[in-house]
Amino acid sequence: MEIDSEKTHERKQSDYTSLQDERFEIQKDMYRGQQYSQIYFVRLHLMRTLLYSLAPSWKPHLPVCKVLGLEEGKECIIVGTLFKHMKLKPCVLDEYSKERSVTPLVKPHNFMHPDDSLILEDESGRVKLGGSALSPPVYVTGVVVALHGKETSAGEFVVEDVLEAGLPPQLERPLDHLKEDKYVLLVSGLSIGSNSSNPLLFQLLVDHITGHVSDDEELGLAAQIVHVVIAGNSVEFPRKLLTGQNMASKDQSTLYEPIKELDIMLNQIAAGVSVDIMPGLNDPANFALPQQPLNRCLFPGSAPYNTFRSCTNPHSFDVDNIRFLGTSGQNIDDLDKYSEAESKLDFVERTLRWRHLAPTAPNTLGCYPFTDRDPFLIETCPHVYFVGNQDKYDSRLVKGSEGQLVRLICIPKFCETGVAVAVNLRNLECHTRSFNIQL
Amino acid sequence: MATTSNAKNMKGFYKQTKSNITGGISKSKPSSRKVSPKHAATQGSDATQPAALISHGSVDVNDGYDEKEEMLRQFDMNMAYGPCVGMTRVDRWERALRLGMNPPTEIERLLKTEKVQQDCLWQGRV
Repeated sequence: MEIDSEKTHERKQSDYTSLQDERFEIQKDMYRGQQYSQIYFVRLHLMRTLLYSLAPSWKPHLPVCKVLGLEEGKECIIVGTLFKHMKLKPCVLDEYSKERSVTPLVKPHNFMHPDDSLILEDESGRVKLGGSALSPPVYVTGVVVALHGKETSAGEFVVEDVLEAGLPPQLERPLDHLKEDKYVLLVSGLSIGSNSSNPLLFQLLVDHITGHVSDDEELGLAAQIVHVVIAGNSVEFPRKLLTGQNMASKDQSTLYEPIKELDIMLNQIAAGVSVDIMPGLNDPANFALPQQPLNRCLFPGSAPYNTFRSCTNPHSFDVDNIRFLGTSGQNIDDLDKYSEAESKLDFVERTLRWRHLAPTAPNTLGCYPFTDRDPFLIETCPHVYFVGNQDKYDSRLVKGSEGQLVRLICIPKFCETGVAVAVNLRNLECHTRSFNIQL
Repeated sequence: MATTSNAKNMKGFYKQTKSNITGGISKSKPSSRKVSPKHAATQGSDATQPAALISHGSVDVNDGYDEKEEMLRQFDMNMAYGPCVGMTRVDRWERALRLGMNPPTEIERLLKTEKVQQDCLWQGRV
């Protein structure tokens, strides 16, 4: 774009591909009444094949056996899916046993308890796990691990050591790399339509991205943005209008306001730079993961642009051969409810080391019952792994045992913090861009 | 719950065929099948053929069950290929192929070329 100054800033270009998203799309699947046993089977089979290949280099002389093949006192390795038995985990039967009250029985807080125990399960059976090597607060149901230990006379399997799958192999970052800085801007939690969101704040962000600024230096910064990703919770509908009764037409148009506003803003962004929008928990998309792309008819102004892409949640794409993988936050929020860690980034790193985006799906996180695949398995290590709608910005560089390098990012909610995150494609360094209005 | 039924109703209920007038439900065919076919998929139990078979809502005296169906049922019951409920047999076979389990090609041939039941053993019954 041109401005009235001596220097003209042109936006940098980059290659964008998004072939990985196919596995998150459910277009051709037809639900045939299947249950979740199928997805657990696929997950166990694929992870077990992987762990069997890693076991010889981990503990060379130990035999590997199935759960039913355990003999008392024999030291061996078993592989299976973890199940965490939690006392406080809400159960649908509680609805019938306790008195019905107006307030919901389940409150979103952490359901951990000191008495939680872990059980290992494979298709032949399950065994209770003991010992101090495996710490229940760290693990959740749905993680596949290999355990070294032996069975006691009480029928418990005492764990001596744990093997997680570890970081998956990573594609090489192209070395003939960018001599210049190119940034991908990540933002989430716009919550247009909510009481806490200020339209002016988002407008400032849009102006920054599109270059409607007066400062030359800022214009230079804006020209270096090659891609924008909006990671979920872009709108918040006035739910008080949804009473279950017929809605007056005036209410109908009020209900639709947030989306219209979002479309106007997206239109401004899409006119200048390629933008991906992912659905989040509050967005008008399906509830179960993987959330399908927001319908293009919701964005009549932005959809005609070929720079506008409505994407799935989780979303995986490549920009200049840098692999990005991210979610709108539901997977990490669910981990937060059923396990504990010092920071949200610990959860993110754990999902990477377990090679599974959302291990608690389908147990406590809604998920489509796939029969032929588990799309949340992370097969190739991304270069940037982001999670949206977190409370604050946080970032870490993780190094793997085979030279993998991953940038983990927690994107804060924009409506509360006014912070967007910019990732430099040249060196995977990231920083925040914050917007502030003081009235 | 008492239902009044008379002989007339019962005749329509049980499909009597002329060839099989032994007055009961027979398991074995006139040609003896003492040795069940040994296939790689047949590692399951032989509890797949209970005495009275009601498949898909109709009382099936002849069972509609033959050698090929027996093979397919053993494939259904084989734990190595995962749970069978909720998937068609073809889908389960293809999944087994994609996961590298080398399912027997005989099963695929049967499912794709011959007129056999596409749904698994428990479909509609569980």
